[in-house]
Amino acid sequence: MFNGIKGVLYRELNVYKKRARKQILASSLSPLLFLIAFGWGFGDKVVAGGMPYITFLIPGLITMSSLNQSYGIAQEINITRFYFHLFDEYLIAPITYMEIVLGEVLYGMFKGLLSTLLIFVYAVLFKVQLILSPLFFAAIIIHTFLFASLGTTMAMIVRDHGSQATVNTFVITPMIFLCGTFFPVDKLPYLFKLIVYVLPLTYSTKVIRASLTGGDVNLLYFSLMILFAGLFFCTAYFAVKRVEA
Amino acid sequence: MKEILKVKGLVRKFGDKTAVAGVDFSIQEGEFVGLLGPNGAGKTTTIRMLTGLLKPTEGEVFYYGKDFSRHAKEAKGFIGVVHQYSNLDRDLTAYENLYLHCILHGIPKEERNSRIEESLEFAGLAEHRDRQVKTFSGGMKRRLVIVRALLHEPKILFLDEPTVGLDPQIRRSLWDLIVKVNQLKSMAILLTTHYIEEAERLCQRVMIINRGKIISSGSPEELKKDLGRYVLEVFHEDHIEERFYNTREEALEELKKCTLSSRIREVTLEDVFLKLTGRRINV
Repeated sequence: MFNGIKGVLYRELNVYKKRARKQILASSLSPLLFLIAFGWGFGDKVVAGGMPYITFLIPGLITMSSLNQSYGIAQEINITRFYFHLFDEYLIAPITYMEIVLGEVLYGMFKGLLSTLLIFVYAVLFKVQLILSPLFFAAIIIHTFLFASLGTTMAMIVRDHGSQATVNTFVITPMIFLCGTFFPVDKLPYLFKLIVYVLPLTYSTKVIRASLTGGDVNLLYFSLMILFAGLFFCTAYFAVKRVEA
Repeated sequence: MKEILKVKGLVRKFGDKTAVAGVDFSIQEGEFVGLLGPNGAGKTTTIRMLTGLLKPTEGEVFYYGKDFSRHAKEAKGFIGVVHQYSNLDRDLTAYENLYLHCILHGIPKEERNSRIEESLEFAGLAEHRDRQVKTFSGGMKRRLVIVRALLHEPKILFLDEPTVGLDPQIRRSLWDLIVKVNQLKSMAILLTTHYIEEAERLCQRVMIINRGKIISSGSPEELKKDLGRYVLEVFHEDHIEERFYNTREEALEELKKCTLSSRIREVTLEDVFLKLTGRRINV
């Protein structure tokens, strides 16, 4: 039991260990740039969602950065699948598809949570007060689970590296910019509001921001996060199941 | 001897192209079988269906009498697979690659280290255990992939074109390794190849596959006998004609009647192969 999960994690974490320094350095740069540009650049005068902009921004950076990292396993799975053909090694082993999916998703969550930790370091450096509640931990776990599952799904259904990049350009990047990470979505025109409320990041950002800044967490949004997470985990499972090496 | 593998009416279609068009055979414990065929004959597709990497369009696969599609997890425990390409993780060391295989196949923790050391020794890679695989040569990677497939002590080993693209020295050393596996570990082997010499030297039984169908099967000797022991080659202006005879005398008789230049030689497996699969190249 669980040999598949252990195997996938052993592989992913060992490779990660060898690249850890480079990876962490690279993933820490873009949130820092956002903080300098929008946090310091705008100063304390700008208020968003009833709080100083930098306080508003930090939770957004947490969801953005952890999304990037959790979803980013898609790229790595792609390389192991198309380039190293290592995925065949999983498929011929006496393990279930469920174990493969769980292994990859856990790895994605690990990366997402690591980047969350990093933003907390920035929060301290930029003197932003945040509230750590159990609800926040539940939300960030669901959030990283959701996007790691989505990443695994995408890695399995694309046919090559190129289509992976297309998905990033047309789905991931717009989502990161539109779903309330940098500004409150309530001010968007009606049409965009419609789009934004279909995308899961909107809900995780709202829930995570509310829990970190002492606002009221909308339980409907929280439930929707769980729903999305469940949905993408199922798609990941079925995508792995139908994959032929 | 017990039957490990039984294949019944295996078919695989890709769109409207049929790669494997109904294949039946079985393999006994400890047997060394070759699947010989030209490129595109359906060898790799067959192997991939037998190892769970492709789903058959039609047909059934049984391991020890149990349906593979319903008992996949159990069956995968006694299958070892070496693919045509090296599917090692280039970022991991030789040791780590083998360790990953141990975890995936549920080898108990306390046995892992000794099995890995033994495997590296067997492959002659002991001193390279902590080197990343990306620094390995082609031959080293092949040896590592083969011993990796043996770590969980499978009952049957699938070798898909194990020596393709390797130079003669490395090919010979791999043959030695493969024979050692078959003999010492009394493991059944199904080897695919388009190198006739490889099939002839290694396999007890050869199945010739062409256009997705097995068109002949037997020991290399039997297959040659079916064609005749001697061949008379007649050199025409634009091609060489081959005539097959059972005895040298018959061949000599014919040779005397020939006006064109001609010669007699013994039949090789290559003659059988070409006779059966045709000379036209259709990849």
